Amino acid sequence: MQFNLDVLKINSAEETKRVTQFVTEQVAKVFRRKGVVVGISGGIDSAVMVSLAVQAVGKDKVVGLILPERESNPVSSQYAIMQAEALGIEFREIDITSTVDSVVPYSKRDEFIKKLIPSYGPGCKYNITLPADLLDRDSFSFYVLQVELPDGTLEKKRLNLEEFRAITSFANIKIRSRMIHLYAEAERRNMIVAGTTNRTEYILGDFCKYGDGGTDIEAIAHLYKNQVYQLADYLAVVSEIIDRVPSPDTFSLPISDQEFFFRIPFDKLDFLLYAWEHQVSIEQTSKVLELSDDAVERAFKDFASKNHATAHIREPAYSLN
Amino acid sequence: MNHLPEIHKFMVDNFLFGDGEQLRDDTSFLEEGIVDSTGILELVTFLEDTYGITIEDDELIPENLDSLKNVAAYVEKKLNGVPVAEEEAR
Repeated sequence: MQFNLDVLKINSAEETKRVTQFVTEQVAKVFRRKGVVVGISGGIDSAVMVSLAVQAVGKDKVVGLILPERESNPVSSQYAIMQAEALGIEFREIDITSTVDSVVPYSKRDEFIKKLIPSYGPGCKYNITLPADLLDRDSFSFYVLQVELPDGTLEKKRLNLEEFRAITSFANIKIRSRMIHLYAEAERRNMIVAGTTNRTEYILGDFCKYGDGGTDIEAIAHLYKNQVYQLADYLAVVSEIIDRVPSPDTFSLPISDQEFFFRIPFDKLDFLLYAWEHQVSIEQTSKVLELSDDAVERAFKDFASKNHATAHIREPAYSLN
Repeated sequence: MNHLPEIHKFMVDNFLFGDGEQLRDDTSFLEEGIVDSTGILELVTFLEDTYGITIEDDELIPENLDSLKNVAAYVEKKLNGVPVAEEEAR
């Protein structure tokens, strides 16, 4: 098939029309509800989704919830408020710290981290990160716990599977707590919850089952991240959000999406993912993207592995039905 | 010493639920979906605990760990003190 650097280009006007028609139909005919609730994170995907929702059903039928917890980057809420105000929608900021703490206290999580890195304590920040250079060298995806001490020193420990699962479980409580608040709002107001997962995240499994994956509609899940940015320009999303480096904003120590999950720079990621999905040859892909065959092959293998390992989060619950 | 049978048993018991018929010595764990990239950490723990070796971050590469043959060869090298980190990036 034809593969070149134009494969991700979309007609933003037409795509906006297509998505807004989808949203309108879902609200009015499929769900028969009064409007749309969107969790606005201060990131590009939710900014585009809430903008599309306003175009679909009008600003009076869209409600934005901004849901930080005590470790969220303050900039996230600032940008989310800017976007909500720019659209003129009703919005509310709800601190979800108590929700998160009620499931597993932050103190328990901190005790766990301290067992792994004894220097961890008050004033410290942490994240978990992958080797971020998959195109440069081959390696498995193993997570390293990073703790930044108050003096700026960084201490690290590679996580074994049990440790990785524990820390991920703690982190996912935050994401699932947001789902609870979004549905509490939507159900009270007879609205639907619009998700904000893009195609890149969807195919590779970078979302949380019943967290940010717990929604009524996923109106941008067919769009690669690259294409979400194209829509953001067209929809005049707040420029600070467009310029911001994408981040999960789940850990107290800031980390990019590339470092946390994708391991491939964004300027190459979606082209590689498109090529893998459309079975473009390694040779053709490497030529177009000016990468080595080995780098492309590593990317393709990583996509296959991630896609396979996360198949269950794209499916409804398995049953005997 | 041939470590392959022990490693084979671990893989079959923990990732194939006792059904190891399709697992050849050169079967790629990743390509066949036997182990995903984080599941390989379970293998790492097994190797470190069983053989008393320490697997360094730069040794966590498919060349060392992505088939029974590769794992057995890697363990042998580690036990004999042979360098096993990836060579200069390609």
